[in-house]
Amino acid sequence: MLGYIWQHLFTSFLRFWLKWFLRHITGKCELQRICSRYKQGAQRTTRAEYSLESSKSKVLRTAVSVDENQVEECAITIMTEKKVATQKDPTFKMNLQACLLQITGYKRLYTSVEDLRKQAFDGENNRHENMLLKLWDLLVPSVKLESRITKQWGDIGFQGDDPKTDFRGMGMLGLTNLVFFSEKYTDVARRVLSHSIHPKLGYSYAIVGINLTEMAYSLLKSDMLKPHFYNTVSQNPKLEHFHQLYCYLAYEFDQFWIKEKPESIMEFNRYREKFHEKIKGLLEEPDVSLCLAVESNL
Amino acid sequence: MGLLTILKKMKHKEREMRLLMLGLDNAGKTTILKKFNGEDVSTISPTLGFNIKTLEHRGFKLNIWDVGGQKSLRSYWRNYFESTDGLVWVVDSADRLRLEDCRRELSALLLEERLAGATLLVFANKQDLPGALSKDAIREAMALDDIKTHHWCIIGCSAVTGENLLMGVDWLLDDIAARIFTAD
Repeated sequence: MLGYIWQHLFTSFLRFWLKWFLRHITGKCELQRICSRYKQGAQRTTRAEYSLESSKSKVLRTAVSVDENQVEECAITIMTEKKVATQKDPTFKMNLQACLLQITGYKRLYTSVEDLRKQAFDGENNRHENMLLKLWDLLVPSVKLESRITKQWGDIGFQGDDPKTDFRGMGMLGLTNLVFFSEKYTDVARRVLSHSIHPKLGYSYAIVGINLTEMAYSLLKSDMLKPHFYNTVSQNPKLEHFHQLYCYLAYEFDQFWIKEKPESIMEFNRYREKFHEKIKGLLEEPDVSLCLAVESNL
Repeated sequence: MGLLTILKKMKHKEREMRLLMLGLDNAGKTTILKKFNGEDVSTISPTLGFNIKTLEHRGFKLNIWDVGGQKSLRSYWRNYFESTDGLVWVVDSADRLRLEDCRRELSALLLEERLAGATLLVFANKQDLPGALSKDAIREAMALDDIKTHHWCIIGCSAVTGENLLMGVDWLLDDIAARIFTAD
């Protein structure tokens, strides 16, 4: 309770005076102080984002959601608003711009991910069908599919004869992630697949993949991936970076599963939750960077 | 601890029900569970293993088990039979090709000794889809009228819109309650 009152007092009253005081002592606005004091990445961008969002000025508050091509213009407007002279702080504009690209880029990334997720797998769409066949060829090049509807899909961990009903709420996002992993990290993906057909520790490769897409999606939606993207992508994060994060999860989950040795696949949700907690823990570190520690083959 | 306290405790415990939800993969079991619990149903992925939810409804504490339906998981279904009060069998009414599969799996379940006392609710799900068979067509295809061993009822519903979910669960609770809490 006391903590709550203090926080309320601080954000609504004291923070303003503290900023005013520091501004006069240092001759720099809060954004300048953040840019000069913290290194590039989540440490700097997260603070800049908070500063912008809680600003009294509308120019600053709306800066977190401008279009990509308006970022430079927006940085100039902020500098005018805050009376920052370029000569006095020559690196500020570039740093602010980089922060703005990351902050607004994250929001745009969420929109693109959401668009792809909402695209349901459509058996009538050739592009969708070809991606599905491509997934098979990438993972099991030595075996040909007997037909489009076949039990063989079970070999790469789909539920039945036709994978089209397995993508569910993850739609084309689920399939795109699976294909991306098999294409960029073919050897790793095949190794993971070979673990998944283990008689005792086996799991459904594709279905687990779709579940991990859901995990990545919910982490993105709840803003928990911000520090990761702020640390690993110096400009605006794109769909490709989201797929990269999926690759990290797919590889790490496989390692985790083998190490934990669950009794059977029926324990999946318990271990999924445990893995989820582990990832959330990593994301709380300011210097987090969830990158696959193997070379991609493209 | 007096006798009355013990009786009260037992009664309190008795108002718990265990419901087991089964059906082929993609029937909509998890969506029904989430919709019934008021959760978002737009971002569901296939169930590996099981989900369990405990919720209060009409003064009953319901433990609902939703077990994955894919073929390789069906051999594990038996691990969840013990002390089941109600079996919810979910059918994808638009999946005409697998109706026979669906009928076979259900009739095998009804032979299980540990499910002998359970009430059966059949949800003819996905009634919102244009190609869905009607509740009566499902009843016939699944030969439900031949079931003499269990109290049963079929309800046409849509997990996505939530239509008739409550009606189905209410029928199930009434039937179970009439069977096991008659002393109340």
